[in-house]
Amino acid sequence: MIDVKNLRFSYKKGHETLRGLTFAVDDGEIFGFLGPNGSGKSTTQKILTGILGGYCGEALLFGQKPDAHPMDFRSQIGVLFEFPYLYTNLSALDNLNYFASFYPAGRRRNAAELLEMLEFKKEFLRKPVSSYSKGMRQRVSMARALIHNPRLLFLDEPTSGLDPSGAVLFRKIIEEERRKGTTVFLTTHNMLDADLLCDRVAFIADGEINALDTPQKLKEQKNSNMAEVTYLYENKRCTVSVELSRLSRVFPFPHDKIISIHTKEPTLEDIFIQYTGKGLIS
Amino acid sequence: MRYVVFSLLKKDFRLMLASKFFLLALGSLILYSCYINLVYVRLDQEIYPVYLYDPMGVQSTASSAAIRSESAEQMHQACSDGYSVGIDASGRVPRIYMVSSGIRRTDNSRAAYAVSLLFPDSETKTVVIGTNTKEMKNRREITCEFLFFELSAVGFLGLASTLFKEKQMGVILVHSTLPVSQTYIVLSKLVLFLAADLIFAALLTLVNLGVSQGLSVLPAVMIQAGILSVVMALTGFFCAVCLQGFRQFSLLYLILAVFVTTPVFLAGQTGISWKWIRYHPMYHLFMALKNAYFGMKPAGNIYYAVCAAAVLSLFMLICRTLKHEMAKEG
Repeated sequence: MIDVKNLRFSYKKGHETLRGLTFAVDDGEIFGFLGPNGSGKSTTQKILTGILGGYCGEALLFGQKPDAHPMDFRSQIGVLFEFPYLYTNLSALDNLNYFASFYPAGRRRNAAELLEMLEFKKEFLRKPVSSYSKGMRQRVSMARALIHNPRLLFLDEPTSGLDPSGAVLFRKIIEEERRKGTTVFLTTHNMLDADLLCDRVAFIADGEINALDTPQKLKEQKNSNMAEVTYLYENKRCTVSVELSRLSRVFPFPHDKIISIHTKEPTLEDIFIQYTGKGLIS
Repeated sequence: MRYVVFSLLKKDFRLMLASKFFLLALGSLILYSCYINLVYVRLDQEIYPVYLYDPMGVQSTASSAAIRSESAEQMHQACSDGYSVGIDASGRVPRIYMVSSGIRRTDNSRAAYAVSLLFPDSETKTVVIGTNTKEMKNRREITCEFLFFELSAVGFLGLASTLFKEKQMGVILVHSTLPVSQTYIVLSKLVLFLAADLIFAALLTLVNLGVSQGLSVLPAVMIQAGILSVVMALTGFFCAVCLQGFRQFSLLYLILAVFVTTPVFLAGQTGISWKWIRYHPMYHLFMALKNAYFGMKPAGNIYYAVCAAAVLSLFMLICRTLKHEMAKEG
C-alpha cells in the first residue's frame, strides 16, 4: 500500500528534515509512526498525502506517486489532521455534506449516521462548529476523514482532545476500519494508542527511523527480564529488582514475607527513549 | 463536476454571508446614494465663486453669477479663501485677483472662467457635440468615483478576507487533500465576488443616474466594472495567498490605497497632470470606467488585450502559488 525508499526532504538548504526514510506499509495494516514534535512525522505525512512535493527518494502509494494522478489518489485517502480544521460558521452536517460532495456519490457515507456512530450529540448537529467543544470538533473531523470510505486513512493524533471514553471509542472505530480492509497510517506521540492499535510501529527522531517492528517485539528486544519484589524483613518493607532466572527456585535474599512480585516490562515509551535517547513529548 | 462547483459556490456564499460582506455592500450602496442625492447634487456651487468690484458700474453686461463687492478690501478678503476669484473693474482694464493654487494650468482656468462671467456674450467658436445638465454631470462623476473606490477597495479586501478566514480555520489545508482542483477553488470565489460587484455596480448606477440615463450607460459600465472587479479581486487574493497574516495584508492595503489610487484620482479628476500616469494601470481602469459613465467611445483593443493578459496571468499565478502555500499551512 505504501512503499517509501530513501525519502529525503529539506525545508531549508543545509538542513534535512527527513534523512533517508525507508519503510513499507501493507494492505489492511495499522502502521504507527511515533516521534517527538519536530522529528519529521508531519512532513512525512504531508509528502504521503500529496500536500508536499519536492522531495528526494521514492514514495509510492497504491503503486504510484501521490502527484501522478492527484484527483484519483486523493479520492482514495482520508486524512485526519492534528487539529480539527472545520468551517466554524457551518454545522457538523453542513461541513460533512460539503466535504462529501467532492467524492463519487456511490462511495459517500451518510453524515448523520457517521456522526451517530461517533457518539456526536444530536442537539448539536445543526449548530455551528464554533459552539462545539474540542472533543466534538475532533469527532466531526474523524467523520470527515471517513465520509467517503477511504482505502487508506492518515490519522494524526486521533485521540487528542478526547476524554478517555472518547479515546476508547476512536480506537474501536479505527479497529473496525481495519477489519473492513482500510490501511491506517497513524502518526502520534501517544504511546498507548500505538501500543493498543498498531500492528507495527516505526520510531522516528531527527528525520531518521531508529526502529521498526511490532510493539511486542520491540518491547521483548529491550526487555530486561527483571522482576520487582516487595517483601518484609525484620519488620521493614523492602523492594529489590531481581533477574527472572534467579527467581526460579528460591528468593536470593533474606526475607520474612513476600508482599508482591511484578515483572518489569518496558512501555513503548521506554523503548523509544532507549532507541532514540529522547522522550516522545519533547 | 457540476455538483462540486455548486457545492463550492454554496460554501463560499455562506462564508460571504458569515463575513457580512453583503451587509457591508448594501450599507455602502445606501451611504453612497444618500450622499449623492441628498448632499452632493444639492451643493449648487459655482465652479469658482467670482467677486466683482465695479465702483463705476461700467460692467453692465457682466453675468449675474458674478458676486458684486462693495469695496476692493471686501473683494480681496473674499478671494483670500484660496478658491474664489476677484475682478477689479475700477480701472480702465479689469484686473484678475486670486490666491494662486500653485498649478499654473488651474490658475489660468480660474482666470478664464472669471473673464467669461465678465463678458458672457462674447462669442467663442464651440461645436456642441452633446448636452449634459450640470446635475447629471455631477451624478456621473461622483457615481463613477464611488464605484471605482468600492470595487478597488472592497474588491481587493473581500476575496482576500475569505481566504484569510479559511486559513485561520485551517480548512485551506484540508482542501489540499480533497479531489478538487485549485482552479475551481479560486474560480468559485471569483465568480461570487464578480456577481456581487456587478449587482452593486448596476444598482448604484440605476439609483443615482436614474433608470433611463442609467440603462443607456449600463452595458459599458458593467464591462468596465467587471474588469476592475476581477483585476482587484485577483490582486487581493494573490497578496492574501503570499502573505502570512492579515496584519501584513492590511499594511499592504494601506500602502496601495495611498500610493496607488490617490494619484489616479488626482490625475483623473483634477487639473493635475503627470506624464508618468499613463504607465499606471489603475489610471487606465479608472478612465475607462469614467468614459463608460459619460458614454464616451470604449477603450481600444490594446486595453482589453492587456486586461485579459493581466487577468489570465494573475489567475495562473494564484493557482500555482495556492498549491505551494497550502502545504505551508497547518
